[in-house]
Amino acid sequence: MTSALLQVSDLKMHFPLRGGVLFRPVATVRAVDGVNLTVEAGQTLGLVGESGCGKTTVGRCVVRLYRPTAGRVRVDGQDLAVVRGGRLKQIRRDLQMIFQDPFESLNARHTVGEILREPFRIHRIGGPGQQAAAVERLLERVGLDPGAQNRFPHEFSGGQRQRIGIARAVALNPRLIVCDEPVSALDVSIQSQILNLLLDLQREMGLAYLFITHDLAVVKHVSDRIAVMYLGKIVETADADRLYQAPLHPYTVALISAIPVPDPARRKGRPLLGGDVPSPIDPPAGCRFHPRCPLAVDRCRREEPVLQAMDGAEPDHRVACHRAGQMRLPPDG
Amino acid sequence: MRFRLNPLTVQKIRRFRSIRRGYWSFWIFCLLILFSLAAELLVNDRAILVHYEGRFYWPTYGDPLPGRTFGLDYDYETDYRHLRRHLAAGRGAGWVLMPPVPYGPYSTDLRTDAFPPFAPSWSERHYLGTDTVGRDVLARLVYGFRIAIFFSLGLLAANYAIGVSIGCAMGYFGGRFDLFFQRVIEIWANMPFLYVVIIVSSIVVPSFALLIAIMAFFGWIGITWTMRTVTYKERTRDYVLAAQVLGASHGRIILRHILPNTVAVIVTYAPFSVASGIVALTSLDYLGFGLPPPTPSWGELLQQGWAYMSAWWIVAAVVGAMVVTLVTVTFIGEAVREAFDPKRYTVYE
Ligand SMILES: Nc1ncnc2c1ncn2[C@@H]1O[C@H](COP(=O)(O)OP(=O)(O)O)[C@@H](O)[C@H]1O
Ligand SMILES: [Mg+2]
Repeated sequence: MTSALLQVSDLKMHFPLRGGVLFRPVATVRAVDGVNLTVEAGQTLGLVGESGCGKTTVGRCVVRLYRPTAGRVRVDGQDLAVVRGGRLKQIRRDLQMIFQDPFESLNARHTVGEILREPFRIHRIGGPGQQAAAVERLLERVGLDPGAQNRFPHEFSGGQRQRIGIARAVALNPRLIVCDEPVSALDVSIQSQILNLLLDLQREMGLAYLFITHDLAVVKHVSDRIAVMYLGKIVETADADRLYQAPLHPYTVALISAIPVPDPARRKGRPLLGGDVPSPIDPPAGCRFHPRCPLAVDRCRREEPVLQAMDGAEPDHRVACHRAGQMRLPPDG
Repeated sequence: MRFRLNPLTVQKIRRFRSIRRGYWSFWIFCLLILFSLAAELLVNDRAILVHYEGRFYWPTYGDPLPGRTFGLDYDYETDYRHLRRHLAAGRGAGWVLMPPVPYGPYSTDLRTDAFPPFAPSWSERHYLGTDTVGRDVLARLVYGFRIAIFFSLGLLAANYAIGVSIGCAMGYFGGRFDLFFQRVIEIWANMPFLYVVIIVSSIVVPSFALLIAIMAFFGWIGITWTMRTVTYKERTRDYVLAAQVLGASHGRIILRHILPNTVAVIVTYAPFSVASGIVALTSLDYLGFGLPPPTPSWGELLQQGWAYMSAWWIVAAVVGAMVVTLVTVTFIGEAVREAFDPKRYTVYE
């Protein structure tokens, strides 16, 4: 088996909720509950789902901010759980992250120059002169003025700050970047600029992205493959085009049909998602989506569906649903 | 790289300066400390300058000059107030320049015709009178202030050293370490502080350093808990995660990222901590468990004044000095808090 750049297998991340004097776990948040993902070098995997379904947690496990409760995260076949010390530091150069909120992800006390020099300092790359030159190149590459170096993050707009965050993430020439809702906090007018910057960088540097978002409209433009997540599990995964044209899971259908369209007349009759995501502390038995699913039958309440290819469908279009393919996207001309 | 003060910091300083009474209090307080450092030149029984037989002497600092130096008939330290009268009366060539308050904190002004305490007197230069053994109240106040303020600052430093390091480690590493110290703090907080101080100071005579050590032994809890809470909050913020993803070490994350972002809390805490240090030392001295006599001390003066209410100037002087100091420090604290965290000042628990 040739190993992909990133291979996540059966990943589980359970957070104990502690309480009482003895600080014992009183409940468990099953934020991620058995997730499999593969990202090939230079490709983008979009990870979509409503907020609270565990996307950020997956991303943080991938860059080893969290140690998973169970399962494996492999980068180039190397299991992240067993590396530490210098080897881990080495691997970190290949794995970077872009955060959702550019106001939070930059230390307000450091100048932009200091922020961008930090990756080189941490990994002891180059002398002061080389580092300064590298910082200027980075700024230029993400479309900022070299004079930005002496300014502080709060002196920039949201979009500019996100560019700084991107510059920091690409500073060490990583191979995979986890983008956790990188444009969700930005104005719509700026979103496409940032997305284009990410696409350009991908082409130039051969980056792979794990692109996390709750917004299907965004992920459509950037992804090669898409995985749809619901309450800690992947419910459907396919090539991006395939998923939009022929979604099989009712949840995916609902998400796609909820993408705003310019013409209000066409919005009628679309199955919109009712209710909220249930709590991951006590997820529904059987199929986790059944309380909100218009197609749910008795079997869905009892038996948990597995993620698998449907008979007759493409082998890499997998879905976890007992009634897969029985709900169609409404025709939209 | 060009150094530039963070505009956010500049803004905080500007906001601090705009709060007039805090800003003025800050300068007054700095002046008080500065004066107290130069106390030997202002309030002392040693002369600032003596001119005797064509030579100049600066007796303020350095070894005591025996009386024979100036043609007096004794070998112990010169009594400069006497020397001044002596030379002024023409019994020797020269003159003496005394400090504005010509009494030290330990010198007793004894008279043959009366018993202390003596009321304030301009001509005797006892501007605030004397205490019950004839020592100048103003001199005792000034030197007592110096001790109290450096005691508070020393205590602050000790508390911060312990509190910031343990609190930061608790919040950052969490887990068993955090749990362990949480329980330690709970137990510590319930220890009867006063009893322990009384027991210790009845066994050994507390020195300045020992008293700071005893007080810090109990004082580190507050700042530790505060630091734990802020660190815990900072640690999960995205900029810290970003540093972690870059491969930064724990030391780097704590020193370069988390600590600088908790400065607001550290600074805000300081003035109130100084105020409570002064109050604590004064009350211990008042009870007689603080620094041993004859160390100049507000608490001891207060006790004298309480015992001799007829010598009203003693109580009045100490209470006045306490009020001025505490009000000043409190105003500074208020302004600092306001400047660092306007509106959204939160109470950590
Ligand atoms: N550190 C944590 N401790 C406890 N619960 C957490 C923690 N992080 C996330 N969760 C919970 O896990 C679930 C998934 O969160 P998250 O991964 O942030 O979702 P998403 O990014 O898809 O919005 C949420 O219910 C959230 O409350
Ligand atoms: Mg999220």
